[in-house]
Amino acid sequence: MWKTIIRRILIMIPQLFVLSLLIFIMAKQMPGDPFTGMITPETDPARVEELREKAGLNDPWYEQYVNWIVNAAQGDLGKSYTYKIQVSTLIGERALNTFWLSLVSVILLYLIAIPLGVLAGRYQETFLDKIVVLYSFVTYAIPTFVLALIFLFLFGYQLHWFPTVGSVDIKYDPGTFGYLWSKLYHMLLPAITTALLGTTSVIQYLRSEVIDAKSLDYVRTARSKGIPVSKVYSRHIFRNSLLPIAAFLGFTITGLLGGSIFIETIFGYPGMGQLFISSLSSRDYSVITALVMLYGFLALLGSLLSDIIMSIVDPRIRIE
Amino acid sequence: MSKKLWGLLALLLAFMLILAACNDGEETTGTDDGTKTEEATPEEGTEEEAEEPAAEDSDALFPLAVDNDGTAISGGTLNVAMSKDEPFQGIFSYVLYEDAYDDEIMKYASNSLFTTDGDFLITDEGIASMEVDQDNNKVLVKIREGVKWSDGELLKIEDLIQPYLIIGHKDYTGVRYDVDFQNIIGAVEYHEGKADTISGLKKIDETTLEMSFNKLSPAIFSGGDGLWGYAEPSHIIKDIPIAELVESDAVRKNPVTLGAFKFDKIVPGESVQLVANEHYWQGKPKLDSVIIKVVPTSSISVALQQGEYDVAISFSASKMEEIKDFDNIEVLGRQELYYAYLGFKLGKYDFENSVVVTDVEGSKMGDVKLRQAMGYALDVEQVAEVFYNNLRERANSLIPPVFASFYDESLEGYTYDPDKAAALLDEAGFKDVDGDGIREDKEGKPFEIKFATMSGDDIAEDITQFYLQNWKDVGLNVTLTTGRTIEFNSFYDKVQADDPEIDIFMAAWGTGTNPSPAGLYSKTAEYNFSRYSSDFLEETLTNIDSPKAFDADYRAEQFRAWQEYMAEQAPIIPTMYRYELVPVNKRVKNWSIDYTNESHDNLQDVELVSDTAVKSTK
Repeated sequence: MWKTIIRRILIMIPQLFVLSLLIFIMAKQMPGDPFTGMITPETDPARVEELREKAGLNDPWYEQYVNWIVNAAQGDLGKSYTYKIQVSTLIGERALNTFWLSLVSVILLYLIAIPLGVLAGRYQETFLDKIVVLYSFVTYAIPTFVLALIFLFLFGYQLHWFPTVGSVDIKYDPGTFGYLWSKLYHMLLPAITTALLGTTSVIQYLRSEVIDAKSLDYVRTARSKGIPVSKVYSRHIFRNSLLPIAAFLGFTITGLLGGSIFIETIFGYPGMGQLFISSLSSRDYSVITALVMLYGFLALLGSLLSDIIMSIVDPRIRIE
Repeated sequence: MSKKLWGLLALLLAFMLILAACNDGEETTGTDDGTKTEEATPEEGTEEEAEEPAAEDSDALFPLAVDNDGTAISGGTLNVAMSKDEPFQGIFSYVLYEDAYDDEIMKYASNSLFTTDGDFLITDEGIASMEVDQDNNKVLVKIREGVKWSDGELLKIEDLIQPYLIIGHKDYTGVRYDVDFQNIIGAVEYHEGKADTISGLKKIDETTLEMSFNKLSPAIFSGGDGLWGYAEPSHIIKDIPIAELVESDAVRKNPVTLGAFKFDKIVPGESVQLVANEHYWQGKPKLDSVIIKVVPTSSISVALQQGEYDVAISFSASKMEEIKDFDNIEVLGRQELYYAYLGFKLGKYDFENSVVVTDVEGSKMGDVKLRQAMGYALDVEQVAEVFYNNLRERANSLIPPVFASFYDESLEGYTYDPDKAAALLDEAGFKDVDGDGIREDKEGKPFEIKFATMSGDDIAEDITQFYLQNWKDVGLNVTLTTGRTIEFNSFYDKVQADDPEIDIFMAAWGTGTNPSPAGLYSKTAEYNFSRYSSDFLEETLTNIDSPKAFDADYRAEQFRAWQEYMAEQAPIIPTMYRYELVPVNKRVKNWSIDYTNESHDNLQDVELVSDTAVKSTK
């Protein structure tokens, strides 16, 4: 197994290399560059040209690419054209925000989805099941920004249960308990929104797995041995039903850094989703390439992780 | 929940849809060094219906200042909302920032040396005053005695020289090292590393700086010609390498300032807390602190209704409909330094020699009557009313009316008049030969005009279609370059490169406080997008910035001559001026957005009349 994992990791290198080449060329193909937005009549166009030259944007693309990849290999991803700070610092700041928000969301999501899924499967065709199914259809159908706005207005502005903007209250100093609490408090509403909207697939997978499992031999064996129903569900069926969810767990973990443009925009929460979109429109090449590479790497890592996790939870699967 | 709230919610959702669909065009335009910016023209949201904000006289649409009486509380915190969907960049240095939002924040802790009058000309009221020695191309800048930085350090002449040393440095990566800057004697030598200082900047005594220029023009009074209007705390930053300055704590975390407030805490991209600066030269502010937060555009209206914020900046005028009934706020408004325009391609730019090559005869849009007709054919009045709720208005001149001394109010402009447009086209020989309702060109061949315009939200599309229909009504076959509205970056790429697929285009300029049109319309200007130039035009532009124009009357006269000439030749037809709105909560006392007397220059006087903000009852 270790051999396979190492081979998979090694194979990532050429994959990422191809990705870097593609994204680099495509980014440069976009009309305009980071200096297009600097058209100001009192600015000397010659100065803009000088800056462009300084930034190396007039070099042929392969030279720019080589420069970039050599630096990137040494951990220097360059400076953001827009924010004027190191790309790694910028992404680091946002990634941290996004990571914690996503983590809270995912935890809430499983806390909601797993019991609902199992119960719906166990009490199939009952009133409870119908409610759960209805719930998953409704949340699946509601666009993110609609629910986010409703929640924000209701729980934020009307009831004042939650803060309305930002990731932390400015009155706390970093490192204090109040600061950490404030951070968590600011995450709750966006996290709840995300969690409620993301439960559908988990509930549906669990539900159908549980329903399938009910008629399988091992369940009947367990029951005939005299094991109580609740124990059959909590021990036997539950573990097996989690398999399809485990299959996605790798992606879920790496997806923690994805971020959501809607949630971030509506709650004024600076995260990765917004950074990506705004870097595209401002042609912030260094940020675009760094983010695409990061997401590419995470996708590959996610699939590897999922395979590993699967082989752990399901002994029948072996990585060859 | 009340019915009202549901209605509001529905409206906000509608806006959110728009926002989600096409959020980005406008955000990237924000390069602004306090001068001019190009803007994505139609960037604001829709309106449900056109309700008259009940005023005939456009100048009096909105008040310029609040008049809230009541006894002021002592101290208090002013909550400022910055309506914006992305984090701010957080470069708190006048020499380095590029995004206008950073400037908005810095206004509360400004390092500005000069104050200006209604025409944005420098006065003697600020920290510094200036004496211009026109004959010797010299300027004496004198600072008040005893002005202190927020850390208690005395303001020195070195602090005035410091920004020049940054901008001129070879490691400086901003746009402010430009032709104007090179007008300072010794700036180029310093930039090239041949000198350690800029020889044209001399400290005469502890409060006087002498500046020597290659030439002086009236623009010096607008802060042009290379004059820099802000101080930098040299005692803090002189030892930081220029290349590292933009990432340093002195710029990002704890900038030292001359303003009414000083930076206390910054949450990157989200919020800033400023506290009263006890060393402020106009006296310690009455408020204890100011908190500025980024508030998403989707919820700004509700936030104002709930009284969460006292002042909203960069508030989108298109949201006026949502807040107009709130009784806890007063909406201040002023005309922006902005005009939207329709441009005609009349030549090309020779990038080798940096010169405009005008070819009126050889251009499809060469006939002046055709250009005028296209101007008269546009029902801009209706667009302003229906799509912008009269928060924009028909422009008649390329100088916004805010510049009272330079603006030519007598110009008629291209008021909607389709009959006149048709008559002009007939006269010019564009006739419908084959009877299909579409005019052919002078030789009777099919005539198609390619129109480039920027995408934005969905009203960008609606307005574009409306204009196309306007032109069709007078028999002109106008089609869109690339077949659709064009994304911001591509648009300027194409317009700048004189793409042959563009005959006419629509865009906008934020004109900044220096009204001199040379940067946009002279023969050498790369941003002279219509590529129109003529001897008379060059002469007038030169006159406007000539030594003779130090005589204000002469300058104003030349400005008028230029405006009239441009209106007549119509290489660029101004279409709309725009209003800027600032909602202010009723607990705020002494807030003004009058350009001549802005609260930003007098923050020490701002007060609050209650501890908590007022909520709207509607």
